[in-house]
Amino acid sequence: MRRGMIKIETKAFIQAKFSEYYKKNVSIQPPSSIEKREFGFLLLKERIMLRHKSFKTAEELRNSLKRLVPSNVYYSSAYYERPEEKMEEKGWLGADLVFDIDADHIPTPCAKKHDTWTCTSCKTTGNGTRPEKCPTCNEQKFEEKAWPCEVCLGSAKEEIIKLIDILTKDFGLSAKEMSLGFSGHRGYHLHVESKEISMLDSICRKEIVDYIVGMGLEPQLHGLSGIDGPNLDDYGWKGRLARGTYEYLLTTTPEQLEKIGLRKRNIQDLSEHKERILKSWKYKGPWAMVKGVSLEGWSKIAEQAVKKQAAKIDTVVTTDTHRLIRLTNTLHGKTGLKKTETPITAIEDFDPLESAVAFPNGTAIIFVSEAPEFKIGNQFYGPYKNKKVELPMAAALFLLCKGAAEIAEERSNVR
Amino acid sequence: MEIPSFPIAIMMVASTADSRIKRTYALAEAKRVSRLLKQEDKETIMKIAENFKWKLRLIPPQHNLLNYHFALDFTDYIKNAAIMQDKKWKLSNRLLSKGEVFLTKVEVCRLLEEEVRRYIEQKLQVKVKSLSPSMTNHINRLKQIFYEKRGKTSWEDIPSEVIIVAYPPCIKKLHETISSGRHISHIGRFTLTTFLINIGMSTENVVDLFRSFADFNERMTRYQVEHLAGLKGSRTKYISPKCDTLRTHGVCLGMDDICRRVRHPLAYYRKKLITLKTEAPVASGHD
Repeated sequence: MRRGMIKIETKAFIQAKFSEYYKKNVSIQPPSSIEKREFGFLLLKERIMLRHKSFKTAEELRNSLKRLVPSNVYYSSAYYERPEEKMEEKGWLGADLVFDIDADHIPTPCAKKHDTWTCTSCKTTGNGTRPEKCPTCNEQKFEEKAWPCEVCLGSAKEEIIKLIDILTKDFGLSAKEMSLGFSGHRGYHLHVESKEISMLDSICRKEIVDYIVGMGLEPQLHGLSGIDGPNLDDYGWKGRLARGTYEYLLTTTPEQLEKIGLRKRNIQDLSEHKERILKSWKYKGPWAMVKGVSLEGWSKIAEQAVKKQAAKIDTVVTTDTHRLIRLTNTLHGKTGLKKTETPITAIEDFDPLESAVAFPNGTAIIFVSEAPEFKIGNQFYGPYKNKKVELPMAAALFLLCKGAAEIAEERSNVR
Repeated sequence: MEIPSFPIAIMMVASTADSRIKRTYALAEAKRVSRLLKQEDKETIMKIAENFKWKLRLIPPQHNLLNYHFALDFTDYIKNAAIMQDKKWKLSNRLLSKGEVFLTKVEVCRLLEEEVRRYIEQKLQVKVKSLSPSMTNHINRLKQIFYEKRGKTSWEDIPSEVIIVAYPPCIKKLHETISSGRHISHIGRFTLTTFLINIGMSTENVVDLFRSFADFNERMTRYQVEHLAGLKGSRTKYISPKCDTLRTHGVCLGMDDICRRVRHPLAYYRKKLITLKTEAPVASGHD
């Protein structure tokens, strides 16, 4: 079902719940230097974006949230002299460095089976990532619905952990300079506030991005020569290349080696001497050990090693110096969950779908058209199809915001 | 004489108000500084770097750090290395640890050269008010000499009609995708639009390309296209991103033969036009 087709009662219900949230939550913290930031609100009722807003104090911001009841609240990663002016007259003073890791952009073990697509012309539907062409009518336009799932978010978390490792060890950033949050839907945001970094332009940020994703990386410039190569404990990408190679050779199959274009002889040697190769890392690594694997062969393996070690960030977000970012503790219009911060050091044990619950009280009876199994809080629900159910408020609101259900009745709500 | 001559030279170059002359001058001065720097010892280099507020550190020789003698804060590094073309300057090809990039003395000198170039270019941004007639004459003569030597080049040799077969692979793909109404990323739309504007497609025809989108909004699209063409808002005509940027954002599809010889999709288009001209009559036009 399309968002625009949500019934008026459901819309009004979502609006009332969001309003209740912003009335209760007087603790929403503004970003640093609030007076230099631009704010943007997507309005629930009118579905339009209000931009170029600015506030002097947290109080002003909170009052606006109460009054406007936006479905999404954003602030600029940039600092401006005059945030309320048009873009070209704002006076850019710098911008935080922002990273976005979204399950949409990374391959996940769940293969996104929970996501659905519908062909806009013949209404054929299917699960998973949408096809290039509709199998029924060959058209190429689809409507898609993506669901956050534990597995997807687990993959995104793995990428965030890699990113934190690179930023800490290679870029020398401290936990104090970084803040990390779950977006309330399908990904994580990592925000870096540092005076030196804030002045970097988009070209410089692109260099940071290329480093993190391993773009343009030449293994030979990191010491790979065909008879020698990097060690596991080397600094920077050197060490990452070695660790990636180790990991790749440990888990790869002869079929995969063939796929990346290695010669038959090499594949045989690498498979036969697997044990010896893995042991060789204690000394000088396997670079000179496997006879016949040329520099070209090792380069192909190194390419796979880079893929393993790189963090899959959204390259556009990080290079954009005027980006709007969701404000922490505000609601996500697609889920009714809140953007939640977690300390960098606590990421391993962070449970996004549990921490992001914004409506812990009450229940609602809803009519669900279709929903896969999903998790909210510490409980799993569904799958449902054309079913009337009574759910805890957070789960009910999640389906309503997703456009997968209509409101039937609200119950025992604690106001 | 060197010290007073520098501000005078700056004033003269700035008053030409020609960005190519300014760039050429800044580069020449920077090269000269770089030559001088290479003869200096490490301590002097440290002092000069300090002058530019670099966070540069001398490091003791270590067996695992090759010939590196310096460690530079990565922000100072990328500010100066980001525009360099050789692969060895790419941050992803450097040894980066705890926020510092490890460098040899020669490399530090090269980076300082870039810092000087940027410093002088920025000094040349001033607007020079009226000068004496004799000075103005002098400057005009210098300008004359510069143009005679370098010639006046620009994108002007691009024909007015749009030659689709000369599109680079990335643009071809974007064009096909958009024509069939499939979704393309924001950066993809930006690349395609700015490319087409710069090869002379009318805003009208560019707007038409977006019509097949489900969420097409004529007024909005027209405003955005005109904005990119420099007809609205900031009045800057935008140029499409260079190949390097398109690679970062996954717009580049991999390279054909011409791609390997250029760094910008517009340069590809020009090059391809030349080869097409020498080969056969060209199928042209945009419907």
